[in-house]
Amino acid sequence: MADRITITLTLNGERRSFETAPGRRLLDLVRDDAGLVGAKEGCGAGECGACTVLLDGAPVASCLVLAASADGHEVVTVEGLGRAGALHPFQETLVTHGGVQCGFCTPGIAVTGAAVLARGGDAADHARLLAGNLCRCTGYAKVVEALDDAAAKEAADAPA
Amino acid sequence: MPRPDAEPRHRTRGSDPGPRTTDHGPLGGRHERPDARAKVAGSTRYVGDLSLPGMLHAGVAVAPIASARVLALDTAAARAVDGVEAVVTAAALPGANLVGVIFPDQPLLAADRVRMVGDRLALVAARTPEAAWRAARLVEATLEPLPAVHDPVAALVPGAPLVHDGGNLVRTFQVARGDAGRRSADVVVEALYHVGGQEHAYLEPQGCLAIPEGRSRITIIASCQCPFYVQQAVARVLGLPLAAVRVEQAPTGGGFGGKEDYPSEPAACAAVLAFATGRPVRFVLPRELDMQVSTKRHAMVVRHRWGADRNGRLRFAEVDAVLDAGAYVGISTVVAERANVSAIGPYDVPNVHVRTRIAYTNNLFGGAFRGFGAPQVTWAAEATIDRLARAVGLDPLEFRRRNLLDDHRRRICTGQLLRRPVLARECLDRAATLAGWDEFHARPRAADTATREGMGIALALYGCNLHHGGQRLDRSSAVVILQADGSVVVRVGLTEIGQGNLVACQTIAAQALGVDPTAVQVWQPDTTTVADSGPTVASRGAHASGMAILDAVRRLRTRLDPVAAELLGCRREQVELAAGRARVAGEPDRSVTIAQVAAELAARRIEAIATGWYRSRPRRFDAATGEGEPYEFYAVACHVARVAVDRDLGVVRVEEVSAAHDVGRVIHRDALEGQIQGGVVQGVGWGTTERLALDHGRLVNPSFTDYLIPTFADAPKVNIAIVESDGAGGPFGAKGVGEPALIPAAAAVRNAVVAALGVELDALPLVPPAIVAALGDAHPFAWVAEEEHEHVRSETVAPGR
Repeated sequence: MADRITITLTLNGERRSFETAPGRRLLDLVRDDAGLVGAKEGCGAGECGACTVLLDGAPVASCLVLAASADGHEVVTVEGLGRAGALHPFQETLVTHGGVQCGFCTPGIAVTGAAVLARGGDAADHARLLAGNLCRCTGYAKVVEALDDAAAKEAADAPA
Repeated sequence: MPRPDAEPRHRTRGSDPGPRTTDHGPLGGRHERPDARAKVAGSTRYVGDLSLPGMLHAGVAVAPIASARVLALDTAAARAVDGVEAVVTAAALPGANLVGVIFPDQPLLAADRVRMVGDRLALVAARTPEAAWRAARLVEATLEPLPAVHDPVAALVPGAPLVHDGGNLVRTFQVARGDAGRRSADVVVEALYHVGGQEHAYLEPQGCLAIPEGRSRITIIASCQCPFYVQQAVARVLGLPLAAVRVEQAPTGGGFGGKEDYPSEPAACAAVLAFATGRPVRFVLPRELDMQVSTKRHAMVVRHRWGADRNGRLRFAEVDAVLDAGAYVGISTVVAERANVSAIGPYDVPNVHVRTRIAYTNNLFGGAFRGFGAPQVTWAAEATIDRLARAVGLDPLEFRRRNLLDDHRRRICTGQLLRRPVLARECLDRAATLAGWDEFHARPRAADTATREGMGIALALYGCNLHHGGQRLDRSSAVVILQADGSVVVRVGLTEIGQGNLVACQTIAAQALGVDPTAVQVWQPDTTTVADSGPTVASRGAHASGMAILDAVRRLRTRLDPVAAELLGCRREQVELAAGRARVAGEPDRSVTIAQVAAELAARRIEAIATGWYRSRPRRFDAATGEGEPYEFYAVACHVARVAVDRDLGVVRVEEVSAAHDVGRVIHRDALEGQIQGGVVQGVGWGTTERLALDHGRLVNPSFTDYLIPTFADAPKVNIAIVESDGAGGPFGAKGVGEPALIPAAAAVRNAVVAALGVELDALPLVPPAIVAALGDAHPFAWVAEEEHEHVRSETVAPGR
């Protein structure tokens, strides 16, 4: 097996190549090789969701994904959620609804929530769809309100 | 389990939407938290996100068994690992081998004796985390197992294996009041409660970064609640003066008490390795190790004998509590102090005898955890109150109303008179109304289905700030700097750990200076910028830092007001600060902006920095008798829980918790609601699913898959009633809320489950095996849990004794 391999992927909209060890986790590639430390390691076992990134639009626990398997794919981290310097609508409503406390789980929640919004569907499912992301501070209520609000705003802004 | 109601569970903004800010300033409003935007963007840098050139990574070798003699430590294989720069054992420490906060009973590195799983044997510094942990696993320890004790009650029996030479009884606290009335009780309840511990489960594991400057001084950047504790611990192990140890608090990903005392240990480890190698050392604990070795909420065994008369008036209460300290005292004495005086709750009881003992065992050691001993004794007290209510045939609300402290009965069990108003009854009524207590009980409920519904209530009386015994720590420092452009820097010694101390301090400073909150920047604590402000604990953060900020603003105004008066052409006594302006009182049209005043101060080279200081009023308290004023003032909380219990599976679902809190005054409404929502959910988790499974002192479930904290899908809907009042001593009349938000939740859930099932439950958490066991032989799966939960049965109601 090669000592180093080259992984090429689209990271937050930009095509990037990394020389890295074959066994590297996607979380380490994103944090240590690309310097995007927004994704957090809360458990390293796929249990807490703090390391969530989007892989081809789907939320994944990046601590469980082999970096090599992202070769040729599209990865979006919390740093890439917003557009043109603005926060993503869900990031914005997390702020305005007071859905942030210690903030360590927040990047993962923002990423999962963005995927939930992109998928669309019933707001009644929001809590269930976020359930892969643990938070110990907020009791979850204001986070769900923030996602509900972001979905409502998106629906109101959608062209008729 | 299918949910009976289809309505969304999270659509609540508390009882009152409240304004973003008011005409009277930001106090009580909902302006944006200053730390929120960076946190949602992922740009906040926690300690695990920091790297420095040449930085090394720490690993630690720990004992796998709970009691042993250390015969030999072989570090040769560890040293041989590629990338390893240093391996340190007890023999190589530069200063004292000691990390105990209060008692000198805990070494940084075990030299000859192991007393709990996780005792440190050797430290490693290496160029990568992988190398550090691989080397740590290669440290070969030859351990001779010794007898161990894992039950705190058994540990106090003569002949039990000794954890330390001086015996297993660490300390005894008591409260004694009256006694003659105990024979006049018509109903007596005796019960034995086993209240389990809890893992903090902060999302960010423990971590720190140590940056040495030669061997003369060091900077520690730590995820912590108490930078001054870390400073003291590091100074001691390195043999440095306090002034040579600078501790900056990193943005901290949750604490809940778990980052009060414990972070001193990893910081001391990183500091030792940094001095050994002369390089920066980062030490971040992997989750499994963090859960395995860090402090926990204390498990307690609580024996009750309480009596009431047939009219439902409490006559006496005897409480005998044993707190499992684990292998080291840590801060157990302070936890026991609070448990001891909290054991009776907000009730008027003429005859009280409480005894709280602390026992060493070879279990993981207990530490600070939100509520600090009060949740355990509250769980027991509220269970007994419900038993007594049933025994005299009263509704649990009515029984409580007859015994609650109020403005006419203000004397708590220590004899202290509570400051008016005492809002226990108001909290009870507000919570019961929010929960729909009467409607729920008027509605018929099926008794033949597997799912049973129940509603339960519990209250807590919480002494705000530090106990009398910790009063020497109850002071705080602040610095306020008015910049030349009118913006304001605030430094305090209390930490932001998620709870909202930054926004609370920002709000208090902005309110006092009459500026918009966005003009105020509160920076994370650094031990070189403010004086020792004690720990961020005891729901004292906003109080202690806020009072110091108000003092600093007062001092700043002795220099600011004369300049403003000159600009305004008025007397300095007429200057008032509001809406971003200095103006003449009563003549709002005559004003200048604060920025103009700040520019003038700068132009005249007038000192625009002020320090502020807070210390609590001295109190009288007799630790031997438990008589006096343990706390300065008190908050009351009442929670009502509605549950659905699957009787066959023993699964408890908490549907809704209605929480009424006496908070004095609201400082920041979103932060306040967030504390209550988070505290309730953490309390519900403790009471239902969060079981610390210890096997011979080893935690067998150190993961989020096996140790179950509530998820988005489990969290109950939380209804909130805020009760404001005059008479609290905090900034603008605020009281603490961080811990009251958790304390009664698990007890309310327990009482709801008992109401749903019709059987008593005397062990926390209410995991399925405990419920199945309590249901008895009628349950088809009772045999599964019989052995493990034999102690669950209590000696229950004995009417007429």
